[in-house]
Amino acid sequence: GTLIKPGSKPPTTPVKLKKVSTFQEFESNTSDAWDLGDDDDELLAIAAENLNTEVVMETAHKVIQNHSKLQEQHKFQEEHLQEEKQVESAELSSVACGDNRLVKSVSEGHTSSSSEELRKLSWSGIPKRVRPIAWKLLSGYLPANVDRRESTLQRKRKEYFAFVEQYYDSRNDENHQDTYRQIHIDIPRMSPEVLRLQPKVTEIFERILFIWAIRHPASGYVQGINDLVTPFFIVFVCEYIEEEVVENFDVSSLPEEVLQNIEADSYWCMSKLLDGIQDNYTFAQPGIQKKVKMLEELVSRIDEQVHRHLDQHEVKYLQFAFRWMNNLLMREVPLRCTIRLWDTYQSEPEGFSHFHLYVCAAFLVRWRKEILEEKDFQELLIFLQNLPTVHWGNEEISVLLAEAYRLKFAFADAPNHYKK
Amino acid sequence: MQKHNQKEHLYKLLVIGDLGVGKTSIIKRYVHQNFSPHYRATIGVDFALKVLSWDAETVVRLQLWDIAGQERFGNMTRVYYREAMGAFIVFDVTRPATFEAVTKWKEDLDSKLVLPNGKPVPTVLLANKCDQGIDVLMNNGIKMDQFCKENGFVGWFETSAKENININEASRCLVKHIIASESDPVQSIEPDIIKPHLNSSKIVSCSACFKS
Repeated sequence: GTLIKPGSKPPTTPVKLKKVSTFQEFESNTSDAWDLGDDDDELLAIAAENLNTEVVMETAHKVIQNHSKLQEQHKFQEEHLQEEKQVESAELSSVACGDNRLVKSVSEGHTSSSSEELRKLSWSGIPKRVRPIAWKLLSGYLPANVDRRESTLQRKRKEYFAFVEQYYDSRNDENHQDTYRQIHIDIPRMSPEVLRLQPKVTEIFERILFIWAIRHPASGYVQGINDLVTPFFIVFVCEYIEEEVVENFDVSSLPEEVLQNIEADSYWCMSKLLDGIQDNYTFAQPGIQKKVKMLEELVSRIDEQVHRHLDQHEVKYLQFAFRWMNNLLMREVPLRCTIRLWDTYQSEPEGFSHFHLYVCAAFLVRWRKEILEEKDFQELLIFLQNLPTVHWGNEEISVLLAEAYRLKFAFADAPNHYKK
Repeated sequence: MQKHNQKEHLYKLLVIGDLGVGKTSIIKRYVHQNFSPHYRATIGVDFALKVLSWDAETVVRLQLWDIAGQERFGNMTRVYYREAMGAFIVFDVTRPATFEAVTKWKEDLDSKLVLPNGKPVPTVLLANKCDQGIDVLMNNGIKMDQFCKENGFVGWFETSAKENININEASRCLVKHIIASESDPVQSIEPDIIKPHLNSSKIVSCSACFKS
């Protein structure tokens, strides 16, 4: 249903982020953004009006400065959303336009231009309450046309459970038992940070992964794919519960039908994600090998000192970045950060494949000081495999994404910068 | 801090075997003295360091390379194996299939890695989760000593990461064989002084000089 009916049309984005083919074109398109220079007040004023990519594109420093202000805005909007529900207040303050436009975009989309709008608005982070629907739209699981959504959901959910019916009994057959056993060993030992040790959740994860593996024989089940179910599952569970803290929520308290919906939705969204990074998981994982090479090349251009330092101490990128690619950084940052990261990945064209590379580069260089201080192979590798991100939240991810975005524009259209 | 004439060895050790046999648990127990039933599946390779006081004059630093059990990479294990001086191959005594995979891992290792003198790297076989009682070895009537001899293992141990059984012993056994293989007559042309190895590049130069 419609959550909000804004009284006025959202202001149009000042800079259209159409596909730019050169850095110059990008630069000229966004010249007004850069021209703001050091005038923080003006920038903040604009940020308050347009929560969009241009804000994020500003330097990491400015993102930090904006953060507290944005937090207030989010809070303000959340409050408004509550009021809306109860009082049916007529219109919303223009201050809250960014996220409210997102809510509108999610609930009233009809056209392809509205899904473009959704992408722009989602780039800088999606409010928790609209995230489930926004993710389903962004992943391409749900159609933009609001009238077709309910029927699509019903059809896809039915389709998924037909797969379960068709394949799941074969999990102990000779040709499938290896796959099932691997999944069965991996799921219970996933980190207990969320829900996963509950038998109900284990069952759901095993079914999702087994069905996906059987239907994608070119890759089958590859360790790491199991992690990719988690963000979808958690986000979709949140659609049905009021609790702020999901960790301790008893999943089996949800009605069976709701659990089935969550399961099917998680399956399809994960499938959509994996469609975009298939070669990461086919034999010999060529996608990952290629991306690790590209990361190395990219870092050598961005920060030669860090690159040389790693090289001098014989640290190979594959030794730490394989996992970054295979698990999309999920092992390197807390789950809440992954969820925030995926808001952006799903808003970016080729977010999980191409843009992820720039995020990884920004992530590595983020630790340059610590890296340069380590003077020994052992210490370097132990540091790189255990990066201190436990306390990370939205702020750190926003900074990381802003830097990645900058790198993408500086290097994306100049392939010679990272290809030999 | 270091005693004046103390020798220091640095060895790269591999820990390989099928998924879920307890490779990570063994390393965590050995290095951090703790255990959890919920170590997540290793992705790619995990790295750990253990420092041993071998004897009054010798410190041994062990680089432990915990390699993901789901071998997807084909040629990737070759990259991880490079310059290793010894290996543990682990199986789970409660799952016969993981024991059947032991020879597969051993062949993979020996085909991709040899010592500078052309011999296979010393490898110890670990029969892990021995605390869980169900003994594959007994059930299958396999004579482990004979199996090790036939397959080129320098020794084997029943281990439990959970109960901390035999892990230190297995490691000492492997290190002993590595040191012995280093002082192989063919190699002892080099003076018996080992300089402190501060990074892995030292292994290269050390190994390389045996080639001449």
